[in-house]
Amino acid sequence: MNAPLRIGLTSLRTHPRRFAGTFLAVFLGVAFLAGTLVMGDTLRASFGSMFGEATGGTGAVVRGADTITAPGEAQGVRRPVDTSLVRTVEGVPGVAAAAPVIQGAGQLVGADGEPVGGHGPPTLAGNWITDPGLNPYRIAEGRAPARPGEVVVNRGAAKKGKLRIGDTTTLRTPDPVEVTVVGLATFGGQDGMAQVTFTGMTRADAERYLTARPGQAASIQVRAGPGVSQRELVRRLAPVLPDGVEAITGQQSARENTDMISSQFLTVFTTFLLVFSGVALLVATFSIHNTFAIVVAQRTRENALLRALGAARGQVTAAALAEAGVVAIAASLTGLAGGIGVAAGLQALFPAVGFPFPDGRLVVKTLSMVLPLAVGVLVCLGSALLPARRAGRTAPLAALREPAIDASGASRVRALTGTALGLAALAATLTGVLVSPSVWPAGAGALLALAAFVALGPVAATTAVRLLGGPLDRLRGVTGALARRNALRSPGRTAATASALMIGVAVVSLFTVFGASLKATMDQTVSRSFAGDIAVSTPSYGAGGSGLSPRLAPALRRLPEVDTAVGLGRGVAEVNGRGRALTVTDPVALARAFDLGTVTGSLRGLGDDGIALTRSEAARQHLRPGDRARLAFADGRTDTFTVRAVYDRSELAGDYVITRSAWAPHRTQDSDTLVAVTLRRGVATDAGRAAVRQVAARYGNPEVQTRDEYARSSAGGIDMMLTLVYALLALAVVIALVGIANTLTLAVHERTRELGLLRAVGQTRGQLRAMVRWESVLVAAFGTVGGLGLGAFLGWVLVRASDGGSDTAFAFALPLTRLAVVALVGVTAGALAGLRPARRAARQDILRAIATE
Amino acid sequence: MTATTEVRAAARVVDAVKVYGGGDTAVRALDGVDVTFPAGRFTAIMGPSGSGKSTLMHCAAGLDTLTSGAAYIGDTELGALDDRRLTLLRRDRAGFVFQAFNLVPTLTVAENITLPLDLAGRRADQEWTEALVDIVGLRDRLHHRPSELSGGQQQRVAVARAFAGRPDVVFADEPTGNLDSRSGAEVLGLLARAVRETDRTVVMVTHDPVAAAHADEVLFLADGRLVDRMEAPTADKVLDRMKAFEARS
Repeated sequence: MNAPLRIGLTSLRTHPRRFAGTFLAVFLGVAFLAGTLVMGDTLRASFGSMFGEATGGTGAVVRGADTITAPGEAQGVRRPVDTSLVRTVEGVPGVAAAAPVIQGAGQLVGADGEPVGGHGPPTLAGNWITDPGLNPYRIAEGRAPARPGEVVVNRGAAKKGKLRIGDTTTLRTPDPVEVTVVGLATFGGQDGMAQVTFTGMTRADAERYLTARPGQAASIQVRAGPGVSQRELVRRLAPVLPDGVEAITGQQSARENTDMISSQFLTVFTTFLLVFSGVALLVATFSIHNTFAIVVAQRTRENALLRALGAARGQVTAAALAEAGVVAIAASLTGLAGGIGVAAGLQALFPAVGFPFPDGRLVVKTLSMVLPLAVGVLVCLGSALLPARRAGRTAPLAALREPAIDASGASRVRALTGTALGLAALAATLTGVLVSPSVWPAGAGALLALAAFVALGPVAATTAVRLLGGPLDRLRGVTGALARRNALRSPGRTAATASALMIGVAVVSLFTVFGASLKATMDQTVSRSFAGDIAVSTPSYGAGGSGLSPRLAPALRRLPEVDTAVGLGRGVAEVNGRGRALTVTDPVALARAFDLGTVTGSLRGLGDDGIALTRSEAARQHLRPGDRARLAFADGRTDTFTVRAVYDRSELAGDYVITRSAWAPHRTQDSDTLVAVTLRRGVATDAGRAAVRQVAARYGNPEVQTRDEYARSSAGGIDMMLTLVYALLALAVVIALVGIANTLTLAVHERTRELGLLRAVGQTRGQLRAMVRWESVLVAAFGTVGGLGLGAFLGWVLVRASDGGSDTAFAFALPLTRLAVVALVGVTAGALAGLRPARRAARQDILRAIATE
Repeated sequence: MTATTEVRAAARVVDAVKVYGGGDTAVRALDGVDVTFPAGRFTAIMGPSGSGKSTLMHCAAGLDTLTSGAAYIGDTELGALDDRRLTLLRRDRAGFVFQAFNLVPTLTVAENITLPLDLAGRRADQEWTEALVDIVGLRDRLHHRPSELSGGQQQRVAVARAFAGRPDVVFADEPTGNLDSRSGAEVLGLLARAVRETDRTVVMVTHDPVAAAHADEVLFLADGRLVDRMEAPTADKVLDRMKAFEARS
């Protein structure tokens, strides 16, 4: 073994605990990165095999070739296929069987009256395909539907809704349909296609309830005859298909579905976990850099001796790097094991919380091991590089010098660089916020701001600690003064220690501010735009839920308590070539229940060939009242519409308004997303809500809320998301605190003689402990305050940039109480981090401390 | 112990035994020492390395505990005190000058001088502190940090600190060990002056006959026992005595 490596290993063996913080930081970062990757591969593999098994009998899928995708939608709307095409397809040589897939949204109501699913994954209903080769579902219990009203439900959905064979319940299509469960089905051997719920009905029922008119199918599944490959099948089908219809192989279809469903499933978790492991590793960078910087500083004499004895610079640097490398590899390898553990834990946890994670062995690919390992080692070595180089630069004479107060880090170059970065950050963010509102320059500015904070940290540390510690002198006397000055001793080190916490706190504050702003935005949206008294909706997001029956609004209108009841339906079309969401409604009633701002033109005479749109969208499309626009619908038809009105507010009404009669020819499955109700003068809200509830109960029992309740529930999801974010970030903050404790322990070690002296001249153990704790609190307070400032600023930038970059008017809110709690937690945590170093410092023997060289 | 009967004792040890380690490797650093350090006197403790002179001082000052026997500061028996009371006693009734690293680097000269008082939350006696500052000659350095002072100046600050709280006794452990002879003479002069002019008590451990010559009396230790004492020492007499011990052993 060569000398540098041996020296590195020896010193590591002597003081293994010094690296506990470093180890933890790298371990967590690597574990979460590896866990995320392994979980992703495992999910994809399990979904892949599930689809492969379920749809193995499907040789080809015939479907509409084009999709229209509105912005923000995950999946486009595909043109339906004529069921008459089934005959043609069956006539193609090599085709053994073909079946239409008639599918739409259908949400079951469980035995307890609550809807099943709807929180993300689709809730589907469709025809039960009788050819077992083409039906991805298998009957597990009971039988296939034969009569009207009979359905098969996938076993997962049945479990969740506590539905059994023979039970009668409601299926929201969204028109409530009375159905009887006659069978339970599995998908590829699983309880369902992940979280997707499926209700299979007879073909006649499906055509009746799920499509606008009979004779339309979402796609046609084709089974190949013996000896015909999927590719060959597609080749033979192509010539008989009309324009705008395509055929793809069953494998391709399965792959598309796998990708779609696993990405849907994964996006949320992957994003959270990756962001977290990123934050953890970033925080780790600071902790690691700091630990090594201190270790190198402590070893100045030792390194100087090595240099005096003839060690080359490179050798001393290599020794320090060898130490870092060993820690990095050990921590990263443990992290990989931890990552597999994380993935296995998630696999076990998801089913427990009702999230069917398909069975299957963990898929551990080389990349999911090599990448986190490389990242862990690089982060660790990269962070140790500067301290290691400093070790190499030790002058042989340094062995004789007393390490007193070092003013490193507060250099002028640093101040200038930091200021320059800060100005650049300000310029970029202001551009992104004010000049040409967009998230990108704002994001770049945010990154620059982070860099500026890190660069300016040591410069700011002096001032900040002086300010923060000011009251300490008066409150705690000489103990406070000593704590404050100890924190000021090495501004570079204090700043680096605090930076780790600063980043953690900044991310927490950023989310807190952004979350509060989103809530305020929702609140503002509802209070500004929603002029109604009562809102009827089906709480759901993503592709889930079935919406509201379009017959609900007319039924409500007949109530004596109700003045206006207007339903908002959704449509999609390409407007002058761009995919756009349309709001299908009664424009006149819309204007009564919603505040649309200033309306130019008239909503009254939209008719069958008129549209209304928002001012901002009109500007984007260069349209003015009286202009004509070409709308291409998913059914393949294109019509010309006249712009009859332009309005201001798009938050609830959407960018385009079209009448129901204009939409009718192109409609697929009718549903409303929201019904707004205004009550007659003199009707109390409670009474009105009770009346509306009674009627709504007959239409699938949707949520009936007053205006305030509606505003609150719109914002409810944000708190849930914030809780998850906090839970993950708490770990990052823990890493930062371990860093503070680590730095303090090392500093205490460094000051052994000084502490001994203090004890000798009369500092009690209690005073000494308080001194170390207060130092910890000061460092933590500096990090927390910096983090709060940075986080709040970044939150503001994000909100403003989003505000300028989209049509939704974002409101900025500064949740002072929550931020105060964050500050309190940061500072308290600082006191906790100081406990152990303080105890260790107080335990030291006075004489040995004085005698320490 | 004849001359001390009518003199008040600032500190004393009775039958002091200190054993380090145990079993075969046990070392008796103090082997039954009886010493009284009379108030208002400057006492030096001498002896070759390993004679137990530092141990004696540490035990007498309450920095270390005896294996058996008793140590007193004034009338207070140190063995009966817990760590906290011992600390308070050191803070209020003893002063210290160590060989090196005497000052807290983050505090200014003035703050270092009043450190024990500040730790006790006591207000410094302004007149006394001012007088001390003048005696040690550091008036123009009060707001400097220790790192800006020479070694001699640092030791003078330490001397001022040791006397700041008007302690019963000041313990000095090789206070000139790291200094050149001129700076060393200054520090010793200060200690002697403090004893004579302000009626303080100083106990100093040294191995330097020249330093010992500044004291009123020199005690000689060898192998953990008190072997001799000398009134009104001079450097030559002390050196001769030391040579005699070394020849014997």
